[in-house]
Amino acid sequence: MKLNSRKKKRSRVLQTTRKIGELIVNYFSKAWDVKTQDKPVAWITVFTPVELLYALDVYPIAPEHFGALCSARGTILDYLKEAEKEGYSQDLCSYSRCCLGYALSGLNGPMPAPDMLVTFRNACDVYVKWWQSLHIHLGTPMFIGEAPYVLTYDDLNNYVLDYVVKQLEQLIELTQNKFGVKLDMEKLVNAVNLSDKASELWLQTLKLRRVRPCPLGGRDSASDIFPLVVMQGTEEAVEFYDELLAEVRDRVKRKEGVIEKEEFRLMFDGIWLWHAFDIIKYFEDKGAVFVHEPYSEAWAFRLDSSKPLESIARKVLSMGLNTDIDLRMEKFADTIEDYHIDGAILFSNRSCKSWSAPQLVTAETLNNQLNIPYLMFEGDMADPRQYSEAQVKGRIDAFMEMLSES
Amino acid sequence: MYLGIDTGASATKAVIVDRRGEIASQAIVPSGVNFKVSSEMAAKKALDAVRLDLEDMLYVVSTGYGKALVNSTSKSSEIACISRGVYRLIPSARTIIDVGGQDSKAIRISKDGKVLNFVMNDKCAAGTGRFLEIMSNTLQRPIEELSMLHFKAKKPVKMSSTCTVFAESEVVSQMSQGIKIEDVIAGLHEAIAERIYTMASRIGFEQDVAFTGGVSKNKGFVDALRKKICLSPVLPEEPQIVCAFGAALLAMKKHKEKP
Repeated sequence: MKLNSRKKKRSRVLQTTRKIGELIVNYFSKAWDVKTQDKPVAWITVFTPVELLYALDVYPIAPEHFGALCSARGTILDYLKEAEKEGYSQDLCSYSRCCLGYALSGLNGPMPAPDMLVTFRNACDVYVKWWQSLHIHLGTPMFIGEAPYVLTYDDLNNYVLDYVVKQLEQLIELTQNKFGVKLDMEKLVNAVNLSDKASELWLQTLKLRRVRPCPLGGRDSASDIFPLVVMQGTEEAVEFYDELLAEVRDRVKRKEGVIEKEEFRLMFDGIWLWHAFDIIKYFEDKGAVFVHEPYSEAWAFRLDSSKPLESIARKVLSMGLNTDIDLRMEKFADTIEDYHIDGAILFSNRSCKSWSAPQLVTAETLNNQLNIPYLMFEGDMADPRQYSEAQVKGRIDAFMEMLSES
Repeated sequence: MYLGIDTGASATKAVIVDRRGEIASQAIVPSGVNFKVSSEMAAKKALDAVRLDLEDMLYVVSTGYGKALVNSTSKSSEIACISRGVYRLIPSARTIIDVGGQDSKAIRISKDGKVLNFVMNDKCAAGTGRFLEIMSNTLQRPIEELSMLHFKAKKPVKMSSTCTVFAESEVVSQMSQGIKIEDVIAGLHEAIAERIYTMASRIGFEQDVAFTGGVSKNKGFVDALRKKICLSPVLPEEPQIVCAFGAALLAMKKHKEKP
């Protein structure tokens, strides 16, 4: 009997991706700079219009991103336990538990205390209760906007849109009165243009993943979304995506892929597992590369600075999870074809019901209409206790064997 | 000769097949906490039965939870091994329900034995052998007895939860209310069958349906699942070793491809 061990394959992360760490550090240190200058800091949920806040001289930071970061760095458990001690159930979203634990344990860390809490109920209902809890614990003033569920594209132009614009005006008024500031129209237009530019560059970059071999993999896209998630409306984000696009174009020109021998092209549906990031490499070692994720695309939205408020309101409404599942499915088949996808990985996330519940529809579409094999597994995006590595990897092994045989 | 080792969450199985793929010997040992030890024990037991040494094996395939710790030529997933094993034993099978110690799986295979689709239980242990092991402890009756008592039930209880933890306290409360143990046991088998039925419905049932895995040795459970899916299952003679048998067949195939 001879023994052979599976060789790990070399896979390449983009040079530009490596700069994310520094951007994250700067993002938080800037929040502290703002704080020491006695300027207001707002805690926001990620689909909140940051452009407005920049124009009001309020610095926005996103606790959701902080949750992902703590999970990736292995420091999240202390915060989760702090929230659970207070009675928050383990069944609640792990980002919200992390944030509440941080708030309850004295706000000692990279996020300075908020002067304002801003959210829109667009991605999930948890936002509302989470923000209310923060408001109770910290006593910080809050603004909760409502984004009605988008059932038809008409909603992006009719009274639904007007309703959101009205709320944006209320947010402006509330902020002006609270902090004695004035909305700077020039700053707003500038921020809208910068957001739009960053989105445009990112969408162009993502499109290049249709090429074989795929130039940008899951380990890149999972990090590279960061500036679009929390730094929209800034010069730094645009610079980053400019550089990224150039590097990816260069890879395409040189026909250089993420892995040496690209055997399978996969789609990943869901938020990444921040605490188990090695799972992406696990696929790459089996010759599979992630070429498309709805999550990566979710952050990009084109804006029109000639109508800034309307345009921002449309963005608040259009957030993927706030859109009817049938509308989302319309483009799905084309995407599968455009990106030459061989299989799909559906991560059913215990924390994110609004993402996971529609996956049953996705699975059905993949199976019945598109004949694309898929694997669904369960875990949590940020809470490592809700994830069984051996079990998930066992499933991945079986799925990859199935793909190789078909 | 070829060896297949399946390191399951509760038992480790070893099967040796000859050059025609016929079972030459087999062994089942408890997995304990060390898969390396249990796999060596199972292999030794199977090898001793045919008076051979590990060196005589042309190819070894390991599978199951502890596969990485096993001294083998290559490793494979349980899905691939179970499918291969079933295809050899029951060629007419198109759907496989495998219930093991910690996992339950439903697999659809084509007429030439290829895996078409599969689903597995989520992270929770409800709907696996672990659930029955815990209940057998709570009821202080060995698993074998649960299987016998099942058929004496006249009015199986309806369990309100398949959560292992909740079901345990529910069982305690039912026993204290004087409900007959056989009715509680049949209720437990129905609960786990219900759970597996729901999971397997995601990929659908196509005849023939084969039941494998250690839990399929429990006749009470088989009865409950049979009634639930309204189909007569086909059971291999020894359902627990099908995965290890499939691993041995895979070893034979791999050796023929790349000797």
